[in-house]
Order: sequence, then structure tokens, then C-alpha cells
Amino acid sequence: MAEAKALRVRGLVIAPGVDPISQTIAPGEIVGLAGLDGHGQERFLRALAGLEQPVAGEIAVDGKAGSITSFRKAVAGGIAYLPRDRRSTGIFPTQSVLDNFAISTVSNDRRLGLLSFAARRRRYEAYRQRLGIVAPRPDAAITTLSGGNQQKVLLARALALEPSFLLLNDPTRGVDVATRHVLYDVFRGLAAEGMALVILSSEIEEILLLCHRVLVFREQRVSAEFSGAEMTTDTVIAAMFGRAA
Amino acid sequence: MSPAIRKLRGVGFAVVMLVVLLVLNVALNPARFQPSSWGTLLGLAAPLIGAAVASAPVILAGRGGIDISVGPLMGFVNALVIQVLFLNLGISSPWIIVPAALLVGAVVGAANGVLATIVRIQPIVATLGAYLILTGVTLTILPAPIGPAPDWLKAMAGPLSIVPLAVIGLCWLLIRRTPYYDLLMAVGSDDRAAYTAGVPVSRVRLIAYVLTGLFAAAAGLMLTSLIGSADPNIGPTYTLIAIAAVALGGVSLAGGRGGLGGAAIGAIDIFLLQSLLTTFNVSTYVLQIAYGLILVIAVVLTALQERLSRRKG
Repeated sequence: MAEAKALRVRGLVIAPGVDPISQTIAPGEIVGLAGLDGHGQERFLRALAGLEQPVAGEIAVDGKAGSITSFRKAVAGGIAYLPRDRRSTGIFPTQSVLDNFAISTVSNDRRLGLLSFAARRRRYEAYRQRLGIVAPRPDAAITTLSGGNQQKVLLARALALEPSFLLLNDPTRGVDVATRHVLYDVFRGLAAEGMALVILSSEIEEILLLCHRVLVFREQRVSAEFSGAEMTTDTVIAAMFGRAA
Repeated sequence: MSPAIRKLRGVGFAVVMLVVLLVLNVALNPARFQPSSWGTLLGLAAPLIGAAVASAPVILAGRGGIDISVGPLMGFVNALVIQVLFLNLGISSPWIIVPAALLVGAVVGAANGVLATIVRIQPIVATLGAYLILTGVTLTILPAPIGPAPDWLKAMAGPLSIVPLAVIGLCWLLIRRTPYYDLLMAVGSDDRAAYTAGVPVSRVRLIAYVLTGLFAAAAGLMLTSLIGSADPNIGPTYTLIAIAAVALGGVSLAGGRGGLGGAAIGAIDIFLLQSLLTTFNVSTYVLQIAYGLILVIAVVLTALQERLSRRKG
């Protein structure tokens, strides 16, 4: 799936007058983004996805020329983004589970120019098993699924792009505990296969549990970065509030 | 529940109405509705079916997508084919007339699409502009009705009107098997979600306008077959009835729900209602009132049905 490519952020300024951010996100790494709401972590993530124009700086994927300045370029660079607000910017309420899954990769099911629904169903089936999606049938309306399962369908949609980098915007918000742990295992599995994951989470425990390192945002810049033993609830919270631990 | 039944439920009310109206028509007016004249009836209904089907793609594309210039475009194609191509230039070959008409439809559709999706004028305003321009241009090139139409075109009026309808149906079936259909329905369902899923929203909508233009041009040809002449005043009357047919056929005016089949059934409903009321010698004014009532009732019932099925789901 993922060749050994890294996502390189150089001198990224996400708001006027703040320090630039430089980061390299390596294959197989799970990077957490923490911070109080509105302190720039979401902007940073959306900039990585090409959804937001940074003030300055560039985002580059190894082996691809040029900076990621649009969503399209991000997708072409192997970046998949899972939006935060499932209801307003994620699911298509009038469409089926299968349609919701396939929308980012509709052309993959083409056989001799026309769509093969059997091929699409097979593709969906593979992800359904992997993610443990509980859905009555693929052509049921997406709205008949539980929140956690809707989120899994969206994750399947992103994974169907076979990305090298997966950007997750608060992926377990409003998801039940059992499903959360399924998702955590999936995330770890993806990282073990060489995918790089960037996870924005409003829950520190989740970041501590999953991530190899965490970037703490305060006032639109990375105020602290922790990994290993340094990464604890206390240090992260202290950095979020701009205090010394 | 099988997908076929699920699909039917979406247009449920329109289908029930179709059956009821058909039975009533056959019972009350057996002479007009005898099997041998069904071809003629289809020919009479064809332009309305075409107009309804043409109105559907932009509505499916969502966010207030609508093309009220469908009727005037039909009238413009009608005038262009008869007055300019046939009478002035002496062209009668279908191999020139049909592509020329479709080209005009595509160009008008693309112009509407550019205004609505790239310039981002509200669709109803953009296509109102097209409505007025096309109506004016049609009256300029053709101030009064004129005839005749080429023979092959007149021959398409009766049972043969199934041919253009079948071609449109086939085109739609093919579109449904292309990635474009999924993108269209996704954009209509929720355009912000479509954008974050990587769907080129503006391009999908623009293509929907071009499809509407193409189908409207085909409907214009069907209208020309039916009246066997050119009449500058008929086309525009189709716009609102076509939109009523689309709504009746279970296509959500909010987008992302329904299809061209539903729109066609809605159009047949309106046609049958029309002939039923004509049987009773009802005045055309009352006809208008009936359209309005049926439309409101149908939309309310469809909404109720949807709400109920969602609660069950």
C-alpha cells in the first residue's frame, strides 16, 4: 500500500504572525494533534488535507513535486482526510451504505467503461470485514446505521483511496466505546503496514493510547511536542493551557 | 425488501396515481383509450415526458438547481428546426437536424451551467435570464406559427414517439452505470460532504445543466413532431408543468433523491389527469387548479411517506 514516503511540512504558518511549523511525518507513524478547540490544530490538519490555504510555507509528499495547495493535490499525493462533522460534511443521508462507501473511488469499479456493482460490492465487502461494519445490507440507507458504523463506512471510504497518509479529524467523536477500540486496532494495524496517521483528538487519553508522538497546539502554533515517557496527561494538559508542567 | 420495490416506494404515489388515472381513463373514455390509439396518446404525451425528464438532472444536482428555461429551449429548437433549418436553409436530413438541435441544447445548457455553477448566480435567476432571452429570440425568428415540418419528423408523432423516449431512457440507463451518476447523486444529497469526499462539485453540476439542455432539445424535437409545424408560443408553457411532473414523480427539489423514471411517470400522470378532465369537458382554467392541487397533495404525501419510512428505519 504505502511506499516509504514521508509527509514534509516546511515553515507552515497557519495564521498571520505566528511561528512557522516544520514537521516530518514518517511512514508507520501515528501523530496526535492536541489542543484546546480553536487553537490551530484543526487548521493544521485541514491545511495538510489541502482544504485550507496556509499563510505561508509548504507541504510536500516525498516523490511528488510541488506543495499541496488543494484538496485534489492532496488526494493525488496519497492523503486521505476523514472529516469531523459526520452529519454535515461526511455522510450522504439520501444514499445507500454502498454509495457512501464508494463515492471517493467511483471510477475503481469500472469494467469496460461501465460500473460493475458486483465489483463495488466485493470491494465494500473487504472493508466491511476488516472494519467490522455492522450493516443490514449494502443497499440500506446510511442513516439506518449507528453512529459508529457510519463512521466506519466513512473510514472505509477514505481507506478505499489506499492512501499513504490518513488524516483523522476527531475520528471517535460520538462513537461508542466498543467501536472505539475496534477503530484503535484498525489504526494501529494501518500504521504497522506503513501508513502514516495524523489524528486530531479532543480526548487526551485517546492520544496517549494511540499515538507515537503528540503535537500540542496553543495560539495557532505548536507549543510543545512530546513522545515516549514525556507524553503524559499532565504534560499535554499543561502545554494545552500554556503552563509549565 | 428487494431493491426494485424500494425504488418503487420512492415514486410510490406517482405509480399509484398512474394506475388509478389509467383505469379511470379507460373506463370513462374507452374510445380514446382503446389499445390501438395508445401510440397516438404516447405521441401526445411525449413532449411533456421529454420536458419533465429534461428538468430532472439539474434538480437532482441539488442546492436549488432548477432550469426554468427548458420550455423556451424546446420552443427555440422548434422554431430553429422549422424556420431556419428547414424553410430557410432547406435542410431536411435528420442527420443534420437532430445533431444541430442537440448541439443548441447542449450550448444553452452549458451557458446556464456556467452562470449557475461558476459565476454562481442562483439557478432560478440564471435560467430565468435564459427563459426570457430564448422566448424573445424565438419570437424574433418566428413571429407567428409556420409549417410544415419535414416528413420524417412528422412521422415520429404517433407510436414512433417511443423511439426518442427509448433513446433518452437508454442514455439515462447508461449514465446510471457511469461514475458520473454516483457523483451527481452525492452532490445533490450533500454538496459539502461531496466536496470533502473529493467530488468535483461544480463540474458535476455543470454537466447536469448540459444534460438538461440536451434532453430539452430532444423534447423540442418531440414537440416539433407532435405539432408538425413551428409555434413560438407553445414551448414556454411546458416549463412549469414539467417541474410539477418532476415533483410529482418523487424527485426531491432539494436534490439527491429520485430519478428520470419518476419524472417520466409524473409527466404521464399529468397527461392522464389532463385527458380525464377533458373527458368531463372541464375548462382549462379548472385544469390548472387541478394540476396545482394534485401537485401539492402529491408532494405532501411523498414527504409524509418519507418521514414515516425514516421513522421505521
